[in-house]
Amino acid sequence: MRHDFLDRYSRLASPVHALPAWLKALATLTLVMAMAVARPSWWPALVVATALLVAGAWLSRIPAGFLLRRLLLLEPVVVVVATLALWQPDGGMRFALLVARSTLSLAALILFTNTTPFGEVLELLRRCRVPSLLVTVLALMYRYVFVLVDEAARLQRARASRAFSRSAARSWRSVASGAGQLFVRSSERAERVFTAMCARGWRP
Amino acid sequence: MAAVNAIEVRDLAFAYADGTPALRGVSFAVAEGECVGIIGPNGAGKSTLLLHLNGVLPETPDGSGAVRVFGAPITKANLYEIRRTVGLLFQDPDDQLLCPTVGEDVAFGPRQLGLGGPELGARVTAALARVGLAGFEARSPHHLSRGEKRRVCLAGLLACESRVLVLDEPTSELDPRGRRGIEALLASIPATMLVATHDLEIVVELCSRVVVLDHGQIVAAGETVALLSDEALMLAHGLERPHVLRHRHPHE
Repeated sequence: MRHDFLDRYSRLASPVHALPAWLKALATLTLVMAMAVARPSWWPALVVATALLVAGAWLSRIPAGFLLRRLLLLEPVVVVVATLALWQPDGGMRFALLVARSTLSLAALILFTNTTPFGEVLELLRRCRVPSLLVTVLALMYRYVFVLVDEAARLQRARASRAFSRSAARSWRSVASGAGQLFVRSSERAERVFTAMCARGWRP
Repeated sequence: MAAVNAIEVRDLAFAYADGTPALRGVSFAVAEGECVGIIGPNGAGKSTLLLHLNGVLPETPDGSGAVRVFGAPITKANLYEIRRTVGLLFQDPDDQLLCPTVGEDVAFGPRQLGLGGPELGARVTAALARVGLAGFEARSPHHLSRGEKRRVCLAGLLACESRVLVLDEPTSELDPRGRRGIEALLASIPATMLVATHDLEIVVELCSRVVVLDHGQIVAAGETVALLSDEALMLAHGLERPHVLRHRHPHE
């Protein structure tokens, strides 16, 4: 089972990974803000942003294919939203600009999350005085998504080894019951995790 | 004045919300520095009993004095003090390890106690070194072996400098090497310990006294070797005479 599907490359050793988390966060945020307010006449800014991101990606030693796949995964959302622009005057231009700006923002975020271990992101949030409850919830989510995936894989394997029927209806039914079971198991785990947190002195 | 017991349980009863009785009139005491084993079949109430020892159960501490830690009944006011004194090791390390990295997890307890900065860092480093995992700070708990996860859990308790360690099945689901490692580690910790387990071999190695729990009641208590050698008693409560005792030479 692969547990690192979320941030496989965030612990590489590269000049980009070595930069302090706050600097990368600031750079990412600046780029996203700049993209958010970019006008069509600012096209040189888009070119500069693209160049910076390509350089960053290259320096980070993360395989380009991996970053592009991540980007493509999110691109449909961007394109669907941008399609709305086509009905406005000067639609083609707006559409292209919207896609470019969103894609560059996404690329910046993808690069940031894949060059910064999540623990450092959390530490940064804590230092930025993000409410500690929110940081705790994020930390728990990151910790337990892997446990949950393992649990789902175990359930799925057990089901596969006991399923003798090829009927699609039956297999859907078993998927549904698997999802139900996973939910029950997760909520039981949540209860146990909360107990353990309390036992370790956590104050709600 | 006689020395105050580290843990004193007097006539403790507990039923779950659905009415299932889990503990009935449980009484025993653990002196400071002692290591006591709690054994009994599945569903005997061992885990439920352990959860009472640092005030996780009952959900609102009643101050009834059924459980006393160093003489103090558990109340709402001293709950966090009690949880600092009594460290609980849970059965499933995945329930206990709740932070994204090992270092943060070990720091979780001390952070709740208000520690921070270099002192916190030093405690984490020392606790990890103590359990043989020096340099594991940045690792993700998910990528550790079960034995390593247990060690991280223990490091989390050691970092809080708990005076009493309450361990629920510390050796379950470990391979022999992992089990031996945990056993040696526990033997080297000077804290007062309570070990609930099915692993009777480690009870023989670690505990001077044993309490047998069945159906929520204490059915026997006494010196480890004498009690575990009582085959009839062991079999009656879903246990067995451990191998180490079978093969132990009379003049050893």
